[in-house]
Amino acid sequence: MTWTRTVAVALSAAWALFHSAVALATPADPEAARRGAHAFGRYCVSCHGVQGDGRGPSADWIDPRPRILTSGTFKFRSTASGELPTDDDLFRTISNGLHHTNMPHWDAITAMERHDLVQYVKTLSPRFASEPQGKPIVIPAAPKFTPALVAKGKEVYGKMGCANCHGDTGKGDGSSWSTLRDDWGYPIVPRDFTSGPLKVGDAPEDLYRAFMTGLNGSPMPSFAESITPDESWALVAYVRSLRVE
Amino acid sequence: MRNPTRWLVACLVVLAATRAEAFPSFARKYGMSCTACHVAWPIFNQVGQSFWDNGYQFDLGKDDSINQGLSYIPFSIRTTPNYTFTRSTNQASDNGPVATQTGGISPPGVDILTGGTIAKDLSFLVVLTGFSPSDGQALVESAWARVSNLGGSSWLNFKAGKFELDLPASAHRDVSLAGVGYAVYGAHPAGSLVGFDMSENQLGLELSGHDARSSTRYSLAVVNANGDPGSGNAWSSPLVYAHVQRSFELDNRVLPWVRVGALGAVGWLPTSFATNGTNADGSPASVPGTGRDHKSYQRVGGELSWMLGYPATPALFTAAFMYGREEAGLAGTDPATATDLSGQSNSFTGGFLELDWVPFAEVSYNSTPWLFFARYDFVRYATGSGDYDGGTLGVRRYLAFGPKGAMAIHAELHADKTRGAGAPDPNTNIAKDVESQSFLVGLDFDF
Repeated sequence: MTWTRTVAVALSAAWALFHSAVALATPADPEAARRGAHAFGRYCVSCHGVQGDGRGPSADWIDPRPRILTSGTFKFRSTASGELPTDDDLFRTISNGLHHTNMPHWDAITAMERHDLVQYVKTLSPRFASEPQGKPIVIPAAPKFTPALVAKGKEVYGKMGCANCHGDTGKGDGSSWSTLRDDWGYPIVPRDFTSGPLKVGDAPEDLYRAFMTGLNGSPMPSFAESITPDESWALVAYVRSLRVE
Repeated sequence: MRNPTRWLVACLVVLAATRAEAFPSFARKYGMSCTACHVAWPIFNQVGQSFWDNGYQFDLGKDDSINQGLSYIPFSIRTTPNYTFTRSTNQASDNGPVATQTGGISPPGVDILTGGTIAKDLSFLVVLTGFSPSDGQALVESAWARVSNLGGSSWLNFKAGKFELDLPASAHRDVSLAGVGYAVYGAHPAGSLVGFDMSENQLGLELSGHDARSSTRYSLAVVNANGDPGSGNAWSSPLVYAHVQRSFELDNRVLPWVRVGALGAVGWLPTSFATNGTNADGSPASVPGTGRDHKSYQRVGGELSWMLGYPATPALFTAAFMYGREEAGLAGTDPATATDLSGQSNSFTGGFLELDWVPFAEVSYNSTPWLFFARYDFVRYATGSGDYDGGTLGVRRYLAFGPKGAMAIHAELHADKTRGAGAPDPNTNIAKDVESQSFLVGLDFDF
């Protein structure tokens, strides 16, 4: 095979892959997105900006900074690392808000508006028009959180180097905490596991999901390729045991 | 009141100075636009209602003031300089009934608001209002403290102090600046001794609750009714007020949201007192705290609100209908006809229908720059004068509506007719009707 033929085959394969991805993509429903623009203008622009670029007039004085919706990169998903979130993921974040951030829970507005907002948010990033959204990971039933499971989780915590960021006691004061940056170069603080709920929720499944999907755009990786589901549940048990208030 | 014009102007000034509760410091605290919580400032949407019901909390770890940046100061200030022209017919003069016309820049009062949370589930509000150049007077319009989520339940929240009753449409977040709307809230039969006006803030206690989305909510208050003289009871001017609301989401793009509600109030007013000397007009001077021979008065009502069109940019309709009754002994003489009404009970019906329409412009930092509003108010009395019809049309153009403050150009037309409220007809000695028209244009500034 000549090199030109190799290149041609590779280009063809890439082209086919691109088209198959586009074919599988689930772009926004235009009618719902058109309606969602009304809700976005009313509720969202002050932080996320008119273009969804995370540069609204409030962005500079809130911490953490608002999500850059044009990137198509979302921390809180049920999908594998690097993948786009599902519509349900976006709906859940809009409805429940994110603890310790300025993203409130918008569950007071109608479900119709929240569904339309999901569609509008999908129009802000070209990724939704060119890539398929991910499939939710399977979360096995939670085991009973016993002292033995907590002890096993502590081992996993050490093995995965969690303490580097989150600290030995989970206070978010690991040796690298001050050096962490998100994908856009903004400082990002590791979670303090000793207080309060997680940003995305406080159920054991929320922790499990975060461990196995990672938080796209942040230094928090997915452990899906590194630990087993049993180990992930053990890690959940240990991290929850760190809570002191 | 011998001079209805003075009475009308005084009411306008006082009412215009007591419409206070729009709170941009919350927008600055959370980085959110005013539109996040208001259909159109100052009218709540569901988010604003939920935030209010939850004691100024979103409950996501960002409510504590100490977590905020230095840019957040929990104070807001509002002033509404405006030009108002008012024409009223059948005002008393030495030459018989005359029409009066007044116009000019109304003395712009100032509202200073502070409120929020000091710790989880502990919130407060203090509103100072007045400071008008015309009199320099200020008053504490609101001052309350609240404990939320008693026992961990959103259904139990306790408030004490001076606060607004939970009404079908807030008189303190009234979009009208003319201060003449929601007439039914302060309606009383002719010659009534009752001073209670449910649109005025009351002194007392409130127990309230709501579900997670404030779809179902209630308020139960025990207050000293405003304007009523003190009695010798444990409660000086006792009044019990209750209000429930339930909203429904409909899977319908034309009619997506409906809310129904009901309210009731019963108050007791003393009708006789120990006396001590005489007043300036020669009448016996009552001794406060000795009231007895209480008579009761009641209010019951229902409400219906609905949105037409998309909920984020709706045409919001609010309708309320009320029935009021005051027991025999709670009225004096009908000033319009000089008829003695003290021996009979009296009643009234009234209500209002309001439309607030917020058209969508485009996705921008001022996506909803316009508000068009209209309202019709009416009151009908079973006996005596005072029947009222009023209509208001207005428009607001929001110049700034972001997370730092708000400002709007406001224009409003109002016309009303009150039966038997004017000067007496020289021929019949029966009070004539008063027709009033007013025009207001001004700036509504809120920072």
